[in-house]
Amino acid sequence: MARSKSVQKPHADAGIDFIDAAEAKSGLSSKGLSAGTVGLLGATVIGISCIAPAYTLTASLGPTAAAVGTQMPGIFLVGFLPMLLVALGYRELNNAMPDSGTSFTWATRAFGPWLGWLGGWGLIVATVVVLSNLAGVAVDFLYLALAQIFGNPAIADLAGNIPINILTCLVFMVGACYVSYRGMEATKSVQYWLVGFQLIILVWFAIAAIVHFSAGNAFDATPFSLNWFNPFAVSSFSAFAAGVSLSIFIFWGWDVTLTMNEETKNPKTTPGRAATLTVVIIFVLYLLVAISSLMFSGIGAGEFGLGNEEISGNVFAALAGPIMGPFAVLLSLAVLSSSAASLQSTFVGPARTMLAMGHYQAFPKRFAGISPRFKSPAFATVVAGVVAWAFYAVMRVISNDVLTDTILTLGMMICFYYGVTAFACVWYFRKEAFGNARSFLLRFLAPLVGGLILAVIFVTTLIDSMSPEYGSGSNIGGLGLVFILGAFLLLAGVALMLVMRAVNPAFFTGQTLKKGTSRD
Amino acid sequence: MNHIGNYVVAYEATERGREAIELGIALARLTTAELRICLVLPRSTAVAAKVPVASADYEGVIAQQAQLWLDEAMVHVPADVVATNHVLWAESTSEGLIEATETFQSDRIVVGAARTGILDRFTIGSVANALLHASPVPVALAPRGYRAQARISRVTCALGTRAGWQTLLDSMVEVSAGLDVELRFVTLVEVDARSPRIPGSDDHLKTVLEYFNARKRSRGTVSTQVAEGPTVEAAVESLDWRDDEIAFVGSSRLGSPRRIFLGTTANRMLHSLPVPLVVVPTTTP
Repeated sequence: MARSKSVQKPHADAGIDFIDAAEAKSGLSSKGLSAGTVGLLGATVIGISCIAPAYTLTASLGPTAAAVGTQMPGIFLVGFLPMLLVALGYRELNNAMPDSGTSFTWATRAFGPWLGWLGGWGLIVATVVVLSNLAGVAVDFLYLALAQIFGNPAIADLAGNIPINILTCLVFMVGACYVSYRGMEATKSVQYWLVGFQLIILVWFAIAAIVHFSAGNAFDATPFSLNWFNPFAVSSFSAFAAGVSLSIFIFWGWDVTLTMNEETKNPKTTPGRAATLTVVIIFVLYLLVAISSLMFSGIGAGEFGLGNEEISGNVFAALAGPIMGPFAVLLSLAVLSSSAASLQSTFVGPARTMLAMGHYQAFPKRFAGISPRFKSPAFATVVAGVVAWAFYAVMRVISNDVLTDTILTLGMMICFYYGVTAFACVWYFRKEAFGNARSFLLRFLAPLVGGLILAVIFVTTLIDSMSPEYGSGSNIGGLGLVFILGAFLLLAGVALMLVMRAVNPAFFTGQTLKKGTSRD
Repeated sequence: MNHIGNYVVAYEATERGREAIELGIALARLTTAELRICLVLPRSTAVAAKVPVASADYEGVIAQQAQLWLDEAMVHVPADVVATNHVLWAESTSEGLIEATETFQSDRIVVGAARTGILDRFTIGSVANALLHASPVPVALAPRGYRAQARISRVTCALGTRAGWQTLLDSMVEVSAGLDVELRFVTLVEVDARSPRIPGSDDHLKTVLEYFNARKRSRGTVSTQVAEGPTVEAAVESLDWRDDEIAFVGSSRLGSPRRIFLGTTANRMLHSLPVPLVVVPTTTP
């Protein structure tokens, strides 16, 4: 559907061009989403690829087991609750402000520029940190897969060589950056194959681990107990908070299915059903893998123990061989493809948020630059890539276990920006929260409780991470590296915000994006 | 309501887009058609990412930028040419342009053909290449650095002896109807020192001329020429080319019905052709 538009629109050359809903709509023949093309199965596949379970599990099993021990299955179940509550609020915001759409715009509309800026910053930081972690996992598994394919274990050791590791990471970053700059997307069939492959291999891994256990060949045979499902048997609240923070990381991306409206065949029912189906599949998969790994490896610090700091940032790399034997290469390929695909698609998020922030003059104008050829956020994409790589390079040098520490930092950052968005929902709808039961539940209670849980988890992990023992045990001057990272990233945000306010106050004085409520 | 002849111009805010507009202007002046200047934005499919990537604020920003680019493009359109501008969303640029030809019932797509960074006069860029494989209407390719002249004085039509040349001639009859423009029919012959010249070319051009003259409605002179050279490129270079000239060529018979597919000869012509080329689908339905 194209509509002719021959009238030339006057545009402000002062550079302040606020896009309001009406203008954006009137200028467009149709929105950029491809409408009505995704069915229930497609939406579920997208949901699962968003979560990227093979990557997520290898990165989080170790740190979670280290924090909560055998209570891991229970913590995974509880950890979903704040994610669910916040996602319900997300969906309400998405339906109420379909012409906004990211944490940055929502939080700005609800709370005004300052918290809005920090909400956007939290999202950018979280995605940039996950990009570096994804690339790190991809690097490890690239060399592992090569070692397995050529039957030469020495190749896998290349990942331990810091310069080689950092340069390989650069290659992955440049590749992913280039693909998103060109605006290329994985086709549906590629996504189906990747998801199917991941699910099959992970189930294979879990069954193989249980078979080893039954045959008495497990590394540290730990018999299953129903008590593993009890999240409140965790030793301390700090451990509980750390576990929940990690669980939020493992479900991260699930909320995307809920906000898929226009592109689904039936916007009323498909997103909800797909989100439910996705989470059921993910639950079964996570519990299966968590329980089977615990049964095989135990939580000790031995060679293949989940508590071993040497392997915790990337447990499948260590466990694939002992559990899957000659087929271990399949697991390597599953994780490698999962993390490489996720690396590429995740680039798009921070780049677009930075572009929107550049447009509203919350970031320097350069970030709003769009490639005339590929119509993609050129400058923002390159910045995301450079920063993610630089972050990884620095971490690789100063941290004992770069992957564990980035995952813990990441959990904190996700708590932060989800929390801001949840409270933005509560505040934005405050005038109609008590209108009816549905509104009260979805627009007030759910996001409020979700936001409060996240706030408590965020503060608790921030305080606990000050201990030099936290995470991989890396510390600078007696302060835990995870704390330093978390505090540095947030304070850097505040500092940059103040600089931006001084350089260009337009956004901060509400000239480009206005505050409002649902009743405005 | 009379349908107004119109051409879809594939615009992007680069030198390629500018060349497309210039060729659009030249063609619009030749045949008194209107221009539909289109900028195609990539439609987001549901990308599997950790954070939502399809958001309206982002789409609003690029749509606004696209409109600004189109406003700038309109400055280059002279007063004697009627042009409208359109922001479109599609999975790919070529798909969007082909959809636009259906919406506007356009007669042609005009595109800047060059690929960036290569010195050849004509190296096909990805959008032009995709169009050459899928367009149901003729595709006009603008060479690097093209600028419209006041009027087009000659149209050259390159044809071979293979089936399909009548279709190309029919469309030449249509294009040149009522125009005062010189027409030149050429055949390109690859010759090398060992094999003597094949006499068939002259006879074929005679047949072509008879066929065309029986149907023509144009007023200019009609000439024929056989171009020879050791390669197709050399044969093209052996001809004289004017700055205010355009060339027509038929698409290969390999293409599915009503779709263009550029044959090897036409493809190689492009390498040395200094003027715009219009590729006409010649395969009969």
